[in-house]
Amino acid sequence: MNAGARNAPIAAAIVALCCALGACSSGESPADRFAKDPDAVKRGKAIFTGTCGAYCHSNKKDNRDAPYLFDCEWLHGGSDEQIHATIANGVPGTRMIGFGGKMPQGDDDIWRVIAYLKTNRETCANAR
Amino acid sequence: MKRLVPVSVLRAFAVLAFGALAITGCGKSQSPAPPAAPAATAPVATQAAEIVKLPEIPTHWTNDKPIGSGAPGVTDAQLLAGTSDPKQWLLYGGDYSNQRFSPIASLTPAAVAGLQVAWIFPTGTLGQFEASPVVYDGIMYVTSSYNRVFALNAATGDLYWRYDRKLPDDLRLCCGPVNRGVGIKGDTVMMATLDSHLVAFDRLSGAIKWDVEIANYKDGYSTTSAPFVVNNMAIIGVAGGEYGVVGFFDAYDVDTGKRVWRHYTMPKAGEPGADTWANNSYEAGGTPAWTSGAYDKDANVLYWTTGNPGPDWNGDDRAGDNLYSDSVMALDPATGEMKWYFQFTPHDVWDYDGNTQVFLVDMDYHGKPVKALVQANRNGFYYILDRTTGAFLQASPYLEQVNWATIDAKGRPVVNPKASPAEEPDARTCPGNMGGMNGAWTGALNPKLKLVFIPAIEACQQFAKGIPIRATGQPYMGGMPVTQDVNEKTAYGDLNAIDVATGEVRWRYKDVDPMGGGALATAGGVVITGSQDGHAIALDAATGKLLWKFRVGGGVRSQPIAYQTGGDTYVAIGAGNWATIAAFQGGTVNIPEGGTLVVFKLPHK
Repeated sequence: MNAGARNAPIAAAIVALCCALGACSSGESPADRFAKDPDAVKRGKAIFTGTCGAYCHSNKKDNRDAPYLFDCEWLHGGSDEQIHATIANGVPGTRMIGFGGKMPQGDDDIWRVIAYLKTNRETCANAR
Repeated sequence: MKRLVPVSVLRAFAVLAFGALAITGCGKSQSPAPPAAPAATAPVATQAAEIVKLPEIPTHWTNDKPIGSGAPGVTDAQLLAGTSDPKQWLLYGGDYSNQRFSPIASLTPAAVAGLQVAWIFPTGTLGQFEASPVVYDGIMYVTSSYNRVFALNAATGDLYWRYDRKLPDDLRLCCGPVNRGVGIKGDTVMMATLDSHLVAFDRLSGAIKWDVEIANYKDGYSTTSAPFVVNNMAIIGVAGGEYGVVGFFDAYDVDTGKRVWRHYTMPKAGEPGADTWANNSYEAGGTPAWTSGAYDKDANVLYWTTGNPGPDWNGDDRAGDNLYSDSVMALDPATGEMKWYFQFTPHDVWDYDGNTQVFLVDMDYHGKPVKALVQANRNGFYYILDRTTGAFLQASPYLEQVNWATIDAKGRPVVNPKASPAEEPDARTCPGNMGGMNGAWTGALNPKLKLVFIPAIEACQQFAKGIPIRATGQPYMGGMPVTQDVNEKTAYGDLNAIDVATGEVRWRYKDVDPMGGGALATAGGVVITGSQDGHAIALDAATGKLLWKFRVGGGVRSQPIAYQTGGDTYVAIGAGNWATIAAFQGGTVNIPEGGTLVVFKLPHK
């Protein structure tokens, strides 16, 4: 079991707890809350730049083999929770490892990355 | 299996072909030639569907026929002779001084335009074809991307044996599935693999003699360079500077594959230099050693170079000079013990690996004889060192665009503060992270003209800094280059002819694409290289005048060689690029990928 898999239940529990506390009552995910905080988006961008973006995901459309994350096409689900699960747990059989438990500021850093992606994505008809 | 093509496979294909015809009923309306399989034993359609299986495609074809001239294996004396014997090309750099200089005088500016294609050989693989072929005893040994190795008749291209490495699908590669060639000694040919093994073959049969693991590839390692053979040892270093590895290079006994020594490129706790890595950052500091070295046979000194510290573009947690990243080291080849080092780019935050080709050259330097080591570094500066002491003599830019630093009197960069990576970068910084020159290709040196020929990229970038997350075996870069010139379509290339003793650029050949193919210099006064739009190119070594170009396929990323066999003179150059890296560099991307070795022959007068 990799670290991401080990932390999947923890991540799920955090999501459940957030919902129980009312954070999801308005349909807001933690990423939505961080998206309103420029410092949080800035940190999400820094993590994306330093960890996700050099040779894997690009911040512009090009011919890399890793998915471009600023359009509205998601291979493993495009809801905030699904994106969170993908980042936390990774995608077996690909180079995408799970980052759950590896972020300096824990799970919040994953939500900050999602906030950065959401606030910089292209205009999409069905984007949340 | 001792046949070039296993008979069982031929039979299986014949049955398959007949079965397919029977199933699809092609024979009803057409009159196809009967298959080779005996008709009397051919299965009916329903039976064929049950019994015919796709054959397993072989990955290793050996040879049991007499090949070569009966010559004994490669000796130390032959390795020391290097290219002075034009019938052989035994080392990646041609000889131990790495000059890639052929003594063939007939390859002149007047003659080179008459080169004619002698034979062509496909690698069957995508990705960059970066190899420098080895030629010995009339046999050429050439590797391709994805670790194929082919033994070919050097005069005709006929295939003697072939090995395709079975590679895992979770390799840790930064920059493509490359390999740069074999090492050879005695009757042993060796190839390092992308899954970080060193594999030895019998040079005549292709049978595997030994296969040793250099490192666990899952920890971020790969090996791409040609093993460098010295004193019956194969010396090979690892890649992985973008994966937070602990870099090293090893020496292996050619006869047994047993490791003789390992030299780690970073100090450990308590060792000299450990204090140049804040926060114990040497534990994941990269500093790979992914190119071949040089050897001074008179002094019995090995020279090896190192790559970038990690994470590449964020040095905040590794404050200090980060020894011995981006350095050249002089070592005892028997033990791997370091004698001296010189660091080109202390505390590198640009990915300026210090491991471009080093040339050993004895020169007149300001009126004094100097045993020098010169290098066109990826950071854009041409360095001259005294190779007996490591003393810095001078450095000067060899590119048209260098602005990240100047070099002080002691050889230390004085960094332009605007050039350092930033969260919101806005400074166009030159060169970009690929260089300049790059360890993925070679230059050449003409000792008569006293010129070094360096193919290079002229493309500047902005460097974005971010937060790196450390995970074993995963990318660990801390930022990303923003390919400003590539985006603006202003990137280009040049081949720079540098005065070996002054650093003055005597002439530049310019290309619309960044250059990324290796170079060959000939005693006849020609420089041969290739372009990323798929041409072999010959230049006048004295003037840079374009003498000849020939479409060889895709972008040229290989290292050309020249040799003689059967009384004829040949030039070999491989074509085939990887679109991803070509796009990143600003090169041609619309030519389909696929490796092709093209061998030219000089016609008799």
